[in-house]
Amino acid sequence: MSLLELEGVHKRYTDKSGERVVLRDVSLRAEAGDLVVVWGLRCSGRSTLLRVAAGIEPPDGGVVRFDGHDLISHGERLLGGGIGYCQKTLRFADGQSALDHAMVGLLSRWVSPTKARSLALEALERVGAGHCARMTQRELSSAEAMRVALARTLALKPRLVAIDEPVKGVELIDRDPILSLLRSLADEGLTVLASTGESTGLSQADRGLILGDGELRGAPPPAPATVVPLRRGIERQASG
Amino acid sequence: MRSPVNWALLGLIIEQPSYAYNLAQRFERRYGEVLPLSNIGHIYTALGMLGGRSLITEIPGTRAGRQPKPHYRATALGVKEYRQWLVGQVGEDRRRNQLFVLALAALSNEPEQVLEVMAGYEQAWLSEGMRTPIARVHDAAADSASALLSRLTEEENRLAVGAKLEWIEYARQELKKLRGLVRRA
Repeated sequence: MSLLELEGVHKRYTDKSGERVVLRDVSLRAEAGDLVVVWGLRCSGRSTLLRVAAGIEPPDGGVVRFDGHDLISHGERLLGGGIGYCQKTLRFADGQSALDHAMVGLLSRWVSPTKARSLALEALERVGAGHCARMTQRELSSAEAMRVALARTLALKPRLVAIDEPVKGVELIDRDPILSLLRSLADEGLTVLASTGESTGLSQADRGLILGDGELRGAPPPAPATVVPLRRGIERQASG
Repeated sequence: MRSPVNWALLGLIIEQPSYAYNLAQRFERRYGEVLPLSNIGHIYTALGMLGGRSLITEIPGTRAGRQPKPHYRATALGVKEYRQWLVGQVGEDRRRNQLFVLALAALSNEPEQVLEVMAGYEQAWLSEGMRTPIARVHDAAADSASALLSRLTEEENRLAVGAKLEWIEYARQELKKLRGLVRRA
């Protein structure tokens, strides 16, 4: 059983111009410690895929499971628990600092302010944004804003992080440290599912996938190794 | 002069005038598998070619001694032509891209086959993108010229992967339309 499983997922939107299929029979699996990156053009549906995978948006068809649980019926409970969804767009309240922002998710789950502050600071340090704790949104660079957004998600100790466009709008020279951070989080056992519209975001991913015309393409995950029971071999040897 | 080895060698001489054996060693360090040398004789041939075109010249007095090591330096013409060659690489990239599309046209009667080739091509570029290393955090003190060179190379590669993936996505859409037309016909 994989940590995250999408099977035959369909998703379509209807607007003035008609119906648009954004996910067409999409299947995806991710294990603990995987860094999976989905590349796609603008409006390809990569953000939708992430929201569906994180249980934020229900699919029109197919199955989404996290740790064996159907996300369609358990989504609300798992989001913020086992699953973290990180979008880059930060919306601090007036006068709010990065630390306040990183504490929001914890406080909304009735974690005590002292504990929330400690966990948020730990998360900010982990993502290399400890120095941003007192900064307001306007004082953050785009790379720092990404780190703060990630800290807010990580403070909740998820097992899977779905992160939308981690390097979008980030200066070319500041992208690698963010990619390196995502790689290190995956190496520590966190499952990272990222979307990207820039090929830079694919670097060192365990699996790269392409979303286009509603189809998810790319190399399938390696098949689990066939386990041959040792005992049977020994028995055969003994009987031979 | 079409051989990239000759141009690469000229670049090394511009960077630092030297003698054949040292140039061969620097060539292998710099270009490695990107531009493999068949043997050191290749360097002597290239030096002859560059000298014959007055792109390099022997430094006077370096042929003396029991073990003469003639050193070479680039001429003003050599530097000028080298710079022109570098800019001209744009044309090389364009020719390479054209070659792929023209060769693909051989399968145009079978859109399904073209789409299969495109799928393989897409996968190859995707793998290339994933293989590209993440540059280490910049450390001004330890940031040597070779580290900078490596970062620049990788960044160009990553951006090229993006451009290819976008082109493939566009081509797939067009090919799907073509397949529809062929089926209707």
